[in-house]
Amino acid sequence: MNSDPSSAAVPETIVQWLRRSSSLRYTVVLAFLLVFAFLSVKAPGFLTVSNFANILLNNFTILAIVSLGMTLVLSTGGIDLSVGTGIDLSSLVFISLVSVHQSLPVAIGGGLLGAVATGGFNAFLIGALRIVPFLATLGTLFIGESVQQLATNGGQPIYLITGTLPSWFIYIGHGSLFGVPFPLWLAVALMVAYYLLTERTAFGRNTVALGANPSVAWYSGARVRLTSAIVYLLSAATCGVAGIVLSATIKAYVPLSGNAYLLDAIGATFIGTTLHPEGRPSVIGTMLGVLLLSIVTNGLLLIGWNFYWQQVGTGVLIFFVLAMSFIGRRLRG
Amino acid sequence: MIESKNQGYSGEINVDRDWRRSVAPTRRFSVIWRRINGGVLLRAGSLMGFALVIAYFALAAPGFLSMGNVANVLEQSAILGVLSFGLTIVMIAGGSNVITGGIDLSIANNLGLSAAVYAATLKIDQPDIVALELTLATGLAVGSLNAIAVVGIGILPLIATLTVANICAGFELVITQNTVLQANSPFLTVLAGNGPFGISTPAYLLLMVAIVLIVAIEFTPFGLRLYAVGGFREAALASSLSVNGYVAASYILSGICGSIGAVLSVALLSGSSTGSGDMLLSVVVTALLGVVFSRRLVPTISGSLLSVLFIGFLINGFQLTNISSYWVNGVEGVLILFAVATTSLVCRTEA
Repeated sequence: MNSDPSSAAVPETIVQWLRRSSSLRYTVVLAFLLVFAFLSVKAPGFLTVSNFANILLNNFTILAIVSLGMTLVLSTGGIDLSVGTGIDLSSLVFISLVSVHQSLPVAIGGGLLGAVATGGFNAFLIGALRIVPFLATLGTLFIGESVQQLATNGGQPIYLITGTLPSWFIYIGHGSLFGVPFPLWLAVALMVAYYLLTERTAFGRNTVALGANPSVAWYSGARVRLTSAIVYLLSAATCGVAGIVLSATIKAYVPLSGNAYLLDAIGATFIGTTLHPEGRPSVIGTMLGVLLLSIVTNGLLLIGWNFYWQQVGTGVLIFFVLAMSFIGRRLRG
Repeated sequence: MIESKNQGYSGEINVDRDWRRSVAPTRRFSVIWRRINGGVLLRAGSLMGFALVIAYFALAAPGFLSMGNVANVLEQSAILGVLSFGLTIVMIAGGSNVITGGIDLSIANNLGLSAAVYAATLKIDQPDIVALELTLATGLAVGSLNAIAVVGIGILPLIATLTVANICAGFELVITQNTVLQANSPFLTVLAGNGPFGISTPAYLLLMVAIVLIVAIEFTPFGLRLYAVGGFREAALASSLSVNGYVAASYILSGICGSIGAVLSVALLSGSSTGSGDMLLSVVVTALLGVVFSRRLVPTISGSLLSVLFIGFLINGFQLTNISSYWVNGVEGVLILFAVATTSLVCRTEA
């Protein structure tokens, strides 16, 4: 390649530098460090162990779980707008069962089943009817909202009475094992499972192939429709876990609360793509993205920005990361 | 004989055209569809569905077809209608592919932010004209931000506009502190009042905006080029149209529609309101359903007008026959899926 001696002497232009995929990663890492340094100086109590434990427990866990499913969906080139419905339905069924004193397996199984129903509906629409994921999951989101409104008399939250809760219920939301909170263990376990699934199995390769080029995947004999159906089922089931943890933490079911995680999950996944050498969604990248978002949310709170400005702040941050991600993709061709 | 010929032909074409199509099971079906021309059938069916719904409610709910109630439906459809026109324009210029094509998910939050700007400007004792200017400027800014993100930076429209929607929602919260800002002014009173024949001004405004846009999009070179850019991007590029310019223009027009909707909403609700982002779903349904009402199964302003009236009559009929409003979202979700499934079926088997 470099047989022409003059090419080595020509200094690299900025565009060429950017075109090397690694440079974009350095830019994101640099931005991450800058945000971190800024918060450490500006926010009192940001750089303490207890604050980091707080970030991991309160900001990180649920978003991380939701983002895992989203990563899988986005890596097939689809999108799941109904993550909120999955979270809410699982939370609704779970809390309803707990409130009538059902046992642990029944309540958790019921909750997961609620979420899987959402995913099954998506899988049917996308895999069998071949409706575009965006519209299919949008339809599911609507129908899910109606179901919740009908089930809760127009959106009444269900609160559990604190005194009568079984111990396992408390444990899901607030227990800890070896000094690490249980929800965090759960998130880490799912993370490992998803990492192995996406990076070490034939199914994982299929999802990546599907996202890279669906027609090539189809001609190579990948079971395109089955794979995408499973992906939406898995995403919904993962949201179901998030819904159970969420409702066990706040000891209540609040209708339509799951939608708040949608944009953050998409944002985190795209932050992840800027960190990946091939620029595709990956579990590790997404987890770093979730970490970045949680740190920013926590830091802005400590600086004293109220909730409203936080939303603007994280929105603008996600916008810039997306811009970088897509500029990088464009430069790479 | 003829059928077997058709089979081989459609099989070959379809493998090239559409990778997901499993050829075998739909072959016979496709031949049948082509003979009876699915598009025409679907459109006729949709119009008939519209007529049936109206006929049902006219029988079930006395007063449904009275002048007052029709005017009422028009008034209540005004905001949704203007927003769905904006989304329709974006869909026209962006093309029908939902992932890479045009979509503006920020339009409902744009309305929320613009309405908050209008109400907040009146609150600091500025005249209506200043508030109007600032509101339009807000809509323009949101539209331009979308245009920059989509055309300039190249972010997928779906994700770009979703992010802009969140930023708008954040700013709206900052301005309103999550409360309702009351707004009253002579201009708003006129806007919310009645025009000739006892039909309210918003209803007239909806029809006016619709007529202006129908003329501009369906009967001018600009509109034709907008369709060309969305439908045949390569051809548009080859005939030296500024594709990026038209796509950017569509997002900016959509932003302006958002702020027009905002002014209407401030007038009708006497102030800003929280939770305007929830309207997004209805806007998307309306624009998608509009496709079924058009002859060539493409987004059109007239189709969206029909579809907003259809949804308006449907919701109104629900209220008159005492069906719980909690069903509305679900019905809209089913309508989306119906519209999308049928159009994709027809498009796949036609051509």
